[in-house]
Amino acid sequence: MFRPHGILAPFRALERAIAPSTVRVASYSTSILSSAVTTTTPSSSSTTLLRTNTTRLLPPTTTSLLNLFTRQQVRHASHASQGAANRHSRDPAGKRLGAKRAAGEYVVPGCIIFRQRGTKWFPGENCAMGRDHTIYTTQSGYVRYYRDPERHPDRKYIGVAFDKDGKLPTPRNAPTRRRLGKVAVRFDPADLAINQKQQSDLVAEVTAEGTTVGAVPAAAMNAGLQLRPGYMYREANWQIGRVAEKAGITAQAHRPKNRWLAWRKRVARTERWAQMKSLKNRKSTKKGKK
Amino acid sequence: MAHCERASKPLLQCLQKTYTKGLPGLQLQSTRAFQTTALAREEVQTEIKSQPFHKAPDPALVSSPRLERKLLRQGVSPIGSRRRRVALQDSLNIPFEQLPYQCFQEARKVLLADREEKLRDITSMREKISRLEALTTEQAGGEQVKKSKLRAMELHLEHLKIQADINDPLVKKKFEDGQGDMSKPIYRYLADRKWREYRRKILVQRITQMKVVPDVVPHCDPILDTKLYFARRQIQPGEFVDSKASFEAPKLDVQMFEGGEKLVTIAVVDPDVPNVEKDGFDFNMHYMAVNVPISAINTKVDLAQLSTESQVIFPWAPPVAQKGSPYHRLSLIIFEQRDSQPLDFAAIKAQETTRENLLARTLETRYKLKPIGAFLFRTQWDDSMYEVMKTIGYPDAEIELRRKRDEKLPYKRRNTARMRG
Repeated sequence: MFRPHGILAPFRALERAIAPSTVRVASYSTSILSSAVTTTTPSSSSTTLLRTNTTRLLPPTTTSLLNLFTRQQVRHASHASQGAANRHSRDPAGKRLGAKRAAGEYVVPGCIIFRQRGTKWFPGENCAMGRDHTIYTTQSGYVRYYRDPERHPDRKYIGVAFDKDGKLPTPRNAPTRRRLGKVAVRFDPADLAINQKQQSDLVAEVTAEGTTVGAVPAAAMNAGLQLRPGYMYREANWQIGRVAEKAGITAQAHRPKNRWLAWRKRVARTERWAQMKSLKNRKSTKKGKK
Repeated sequence: MAHCERASKPLLQCLQKTYTKGLPGLQLQSTRAFQTTALAREEVQTEIKSQPFHKAPDPALVSSPRLERKLLRQGVSPIGSRRRRVALQDSLNIPFEQLPYQCFQEARKVLLADREEKLRDITSMREKISRLEALTTEQAGGEQVKKSKLRAMELHLEHLKIQADINDPLVKKKFEDGQGDMSKPIYRYLADRKWREYRRKILVQRITQMKVVPDVVPHCDPILDTKLYFARRQIQPGEFVDSKASFEAPKLDVQMFEGGEKLVTIAVVDPDVPNVEKDGFDFNMHYMAVNVPISAINTKVDLAQLSTESQVIFPWAPPVAQKGSPYHRLSLIIFEQRDSQPLDFAAIKAQETTRENLLARTLETRYKLKPIGAFLFRTQWDDSMYEVMKTIGYPDAEIELRRKRDEKLPYKRRNTARMRG
C-alpha cells in the first residue's frame, strides 16, 4: 500500500497536540453517552461509537483529521493473514505430555505411564525409562507415584506394585520382590545331544508362494548340496570355513609386532597395485591410439 | 638398556667405579660403601667368569624376554618387575642403610628419631594399661569406665604400633615384594589398605548391584578379603562359573586383617530357585559349616576338607540352573560368631534339617551371627548342566522354563464423540 509520507508528516505533529485531549474526551463521552448512543444504535461497534461521539463534541476540522488517523490503523485481511511476527509463532502445538495412567491403575508390561520432557519423574520399581524419558512399566501391576528419600532426597519416582494394596517404596534392606514370569515346559533331552553333535544350518526353500529361509533339521546336513541363502546350491558356510583345515593348510600366525613382515607385504601390495594400474593405463592408451 | 647381556654387569660396575672416583664429593662415602660389599661382589664376578650370564641367568637380574622364558621353562620365575631387574643390573648393591646420599641419610635420621619416639610412646602406653588393669573397679571408677578406657588405650596402642613402622622403607619394600609377615600389625594394616583401595570396592559394587545385600542378608560391611577358587582357578566376584567346574566344593582364601583368631560360620545361599506355582523364587542352602577358625596367618579354607563331625551342617550341593531360568546368584556369606564362641554343632545339625528355604537371615537371628565377609558367583544353563543334574539326581532336569506372555489390557474403544465436541 502506498502512503505519501510527505503529507502525513505535518499531521503527526498535529496528532501529538490533539491526541491527549481527544482521548480524554472519548473516554468521558463513552462513559456518559454510551447508554444514550447504544439505545439509538445497538448494533454499532465501539469504534464507530467513539467516532460518532467525537464528531458530535469536537469542531469539524479536528474530526476530519481524526478520520485520517483511524484509517491508518486499520488492519486489512490480507495483512493479517500473513501471521504475526512473534506472538503466535512462539506458541506451538501441545505435545500431549503428562500422566497417561493414574495412581492405582492396572498396567501391563510396556504400558506408558508418563510422558515428559526431561526427568520430572524417575523410574522406580518395575519401571523403566525410554529414550525420551518416558516412564513405562516392565511388570504388570498397579501404578504408584512416590518419593524415596533413602534412594534420593529430591527425586520423584513412578513404580508398579504387584498387589493392589502394595506399598512403595519398599524398605532398603528388605529382599526384592520379583516375579518369575515363566512356565515350565518339558523338553526332550535327546535334542540337546543332537544339538551338541551336529549344527543346524540355514537353508532356503523355494515354493510357489516365494522363497522361505529357515533352519532345517540337523539330519539334512549330510544330504549333499542344498539351496542356500544367495540362491545357489552349495555347502554350508561352516563347511566352507573348514576347507583349509581339511586340506591341511596352515597359515602363519599373525604377529602384530612383526613389522618387517608387514612392511614386506605392504610393499608387495603396492607393487602389485602399481603393476595393475600400469596394465590398465596401457590398455586405455592403446585404445586411444587406435 | 633393556638387556643385561648387552651391557654385562662387571663392565658396568667397572665403569661406575671410575665415574664415582672422578667426583670428589662422593669419593669418601662411596669408597667406604664399596669396601663393605667388596667381598661379595668379587665372589659374584668369579661366578660370572666361570659361567656366562646367558647360560645361567640370575632370576633377580634377568631382563631379556628370551632368558626370562628360559628361566620359566626351568621352573624359576623372575623376581620382581622387569623394570626393577634392569635397575638392579647396574646398581652397586650397596646395603640400603649405607646409600651414599647425604639428603637420604639425613631423612633416615629423622625417620629413625620418629620411630624411637613412637617406641617410647608404646612402652609408656603399655605401662599405663598395666597400671589401669592393676586397679580395682572401684578405684578405676566403675566397670564400664574401666572397660571403655582399656579399649580406647588398646586401640591407641595398635595405632602407635602401626605408626612406628609405617615410614620404614624396608617395611614398604617387604610388603610390596609380598614378603610381609601378616602376624605383625603393620603388614596387616598395609594389606587392609591395599584391599580397600580396589578389591573391596569391586566386591561391594558386585554384591550391591546384584542385590545380594538386600536379598540374602540385610546389611554387610565386608572386613575379610575373600578369594574363591574352583579347581585352582580364581573366580572374580559375580563371574559365571561353568557347571562342571562348580561340581566340586570351592576352596577359599579368607584374609583377616585383625589380630587374633575368629570362629566363623560359612554359608552358600542361592536366592534364585524358580518356583513356577508361586510365580516367584525360593532359597536354597548349598553349603553350611560352623566353627571354622580363621586368622590373619591361617587363611586357607577348603570347604570339602572341613570336618563332617564338628563343622559341616550341609555338605556342598552343586549349583544347578534349569534351562531357561534366570541366572542364579550363589552368594557365599561369612558370618562372625558372637565373641568367637563355638556354636553347638549337634544342636544345629538337629535343628537345620532341610536346605530348601533356609534363609541366611534366619541363621543370623537364630545363632546371633554377623556377616563380615561376602562373595558371589553366578550359574546359568550351559552345555554340561544336564549331565550335572543327572549325576546329582535333580528331579526337574527335563523341565525347561519358557516366557509367559502377560495378558493384554482389554482394548478400549476411543470416545471419538467427546474428542469432536
